[in-house]
Amino acid sequence: MQTAAVRIPGRIENILSWKEQGGGIAAVFPIHYPRELLRAFGYLPVEVWGPPVVESVSSAAHVQPYVCSIVRNGLSFLQSGGLELADILLVPHACDSLQGLGSLLLDFIHPRQPTLTLYLPRGRRESDLSFLAQELHALYRRLAEIHGDSPTEPELMSSIRREEAADASLAQLHRQRSRLPLSDLAFYQLIRSREYLPAERFSQLASEALDQAGPITERGIPLLLSGIVPEPMALLNLIPELGGWVAADDLASCGRRLYPAGTSQDPFLRMAERIIHAPPDPTRGSSIESRHQHLLSLAAESGARGVVFHDVKFCEPELFDLPDLRRQLAESGLPSLLLEVDLNDPLSHQLHTRLQAFLEMIV
Amino acid sequence: MNIGKELNYQWQVNVLGRSALRLNRILMARKAGKGQLGKSRLLTPPLNTSIWTKELIGQHYLRGRYANSHGKVAWVTSGAPIEFLKALDFYLLYPENHGALCGAARAAEGLSIEAEKAGYSRDICSYARTDIGAMLSGKTPVGRLPKPDLLLACTNICQTVLHWYRVLAHHFQVPLILIDTPFIYTEMTDHAVAFVKAQLEEAIIVAEKVAGKPLDPRRFKEVTRLSMLASELWLELLRRNRHRPAPISVFDQFTQMAPIVEMRGEASTVDLYAAMLKEVDQRIEQGIGVVPEERLRLLWDNLPVWYRLRYLAEFLGAHGAVIVASTYTNAWAELGPQMDPEHPMESMARTYMYPILNRGTGEKLATMRQMIQDYHLDGAILHSDRSCKPYSVGQMDQRDRLMRQDDLPALLLEADHNDPRSYSEEQVANRLTAFMEMLEAA
Ligand code: SF4
Ligand code: SF4
Repeated sequence: MQTAAVRIPGRIENILSWKEQGGGIAAVFPIHYPRELLRAFGYLPVEVWGPPVVESVSSAAHVQPYVCSIVRNGLSFLQSGGLELADILLVPHACDSLQGLGSLLLDFIHPRQPTLTLYLPRGRRESDLSFLAQELHALYRRLAEIHGDSPTEPELMSSIRREEAADASLAQLHRQRSRLPLSDLAFYQLIRSREYLPAERFSQLASEALDQAGPITERGIPLLLSGIVPEPMALLNLIPELGGWVAADDLASCGRRLYPAGTSQDPFLRMAERIIHAPPDPTRGSSIESRHQHLLSLAAESGARGVVFHDVKFCEPELFDLPDLRRQLAESGLPSLLLEVDLNDPLSHQLHTRLQAFLEMIV
Repeated sequence: MNIGKELNYQWQVNVLGRSALRLNRILMARKAGKGQLGKSRLLTPPLNTSIWTKELIGQHYLRGRYANSHGKVAWVTSGAPIEFLKALDFYLLYPENHGALCGAARAAEGLSIEAEKAGYSRDICSYARTDIGAMLSGKTPVGRLPKPDLLLACTNICQTVLHWYRVLAHHFQVPLILIDTPFIYTEMTDHAVAFVKAQLEEAIIVAEKVAGKPLDPRRFKEVTRLSMLASELWLELLRRNRHRPAPISVFDQFTQMAPIVEMRGEASTVDLYAAMLKEVDQRIEQGIGVVPEERLRLLWDNLPVWYRLRYLAEFLGAHGAVIVASTYTNAWAELGPQMDPEHPMESMARTYMYPILNRGTGEKLATMRQMIQDYHLDGAILHSDRSCKPYSVGQMDQRDRLMRQDDLPALLLEADHNDPRSYSEEQVANRLTAFMEMLEAA
């Protein structure tokens, strides 16, 4: 894959090359998890956000149609052999639907690979931090059982530092996007390669891209994109086509995972700190007010003139907050648009028209 | 305390309201005596004690109507550990129960539409939509709901309640206590129990602050004891359905369960279920069943279809079929044996992590299998509830295993517990008819 600025290795190419070097692959479902822990065991995390447009027959035997397409597609993809290269599966807990998926895999579907789960606490209290550290410890023990070997504390710390460096580069890319010679699509291809590239490789790509940063360029009407995942990616072509530009995002797959560096010298606490202190996210129990403030500050920093909520149909964590969030944003002078999508559907004509009307309104 | 307001509370609730409800109970008892209560060609009359349940629920909502002038109010989720709040004299409102009441009173659709007009999607849980609609419009079949001083959300039934309560916290601008109960995929870990216990300790501090008084440990133990007793009696009541013919249908349990959910920890709930158990035992002695001739005994999985309870009971009754056991009503029966009034904190942490919705899909299948064996069941109806993902995800495999491994006919019935717009009577009738034919032929 070639963006204007850098060449990004494709998913399969990257997986095969990792395996050739003797590494294992962890297929990871959304949203939050400790990359560093998997890497410390030699597993490269490769994330499964859907993927879009897969046959949904296999999952239809296990989950009802009123479950979101992230879960339905992920399961179909697994069942149709799409995750054959994976050595382990990790299903973090983000919502009732992913909880169901993890449980189904463990109790009924029994994939070839071991299935691991991780419960993420929904607060930011001391008790949440300490629980998460212990939960990560439990995951470490489980990985050790599967792997037969376990990293030492210094090895864990070095893995954490490597991911922290990659996350710092990722944050830098987000901040510098208006200076990069990248289209919306190219920018998101680059930052989403964090979903499957080894941290060091991603950091290298990020630095190559950042080296090409120039003066701020006007690209269109700046928008703030919120929601789960920018799929179908065609959306990122449509926005500029209609005169818009994604100036910042609050996407579960992207901006909500700008994990800060931890401070603790205990590796488990440090990994927990990183997740707990990530930007607000409804699936981690953030309040509507904290989300509102976060969106306002993203808009202020990026100059976004409106917010596009691009949500996956049936996603309750997103849907509950929207009425209050949108009303408050409007009161703060930030209009918004809600687009609901199913990952299997192409961008509709109606979506096109509504986006166009929205951009005309905020121009 | 404002003396005028308090006098008004006592007058409205304990003098006028109580007398009106008592009178209503006497009139209903007379009707029951004449065989005119819940008259049905296909079903035996409802339990006499159901009149008492109605009175208790009436009292509960009446107290709620005036609760803001009397003391502190907390809105809580149905599976939340409420014993410490009760011991601190909070009036407890259960939005889910209120949602169910609106569903049964056919008011849920109108209230959902109110929420949808405000931007809430039809794809979120219909309990939440009903209650948010009531909150925004001020409309409710119970007259008036008190405003909360505190919110308590426990994730042991779903994550949905957390999102829902974030909306409530935002609207009412009151503290939200979160009791996060890590989902048990395979085993209840010690660190998860410690986490829940730590949150309970933090919760008590917040609740004491809002209540303006400290928690009395003796009262806490007493409330826990009453919760445990009520839950044990409820369990016994459900177990009576092991008899053939079953004395109380699950459709009746759905309406009789309101006190175990929303009046747990009260002496009147214990008295009610003790009396109900006695009446059920009398029915067993007299050989009275739910239908005149019981031919098929079934399991119900998931929430009820609140707005079509009677229709479904009669539809099945016409085939001599009785829903004898349900994973839903059983959920409150499972709590009792876990509780230990002598160690309320420790036992609460474990008890409240244990609900069926906080355990894996395989555990639910195991519970169903146990019920099928204990209650000698001939088939299962799994209500695939569009509004409740945590309860519904897993049902397709559960049904498949029941059919393939246990050779038990099982039906997946598409509906929604509170929103009649996601329910097609024709489709339901067709599917149930085919299912009955299959069972009868077996
Ligand atoms: S899209 Fe929403 S409902 Fe679906 S898995 Fe993600 S958070 Fe859960
Ligand atoms: S019906 Fe289901 S989703 Fe709704 S509050 Fe109850 S458990 Fe949660």
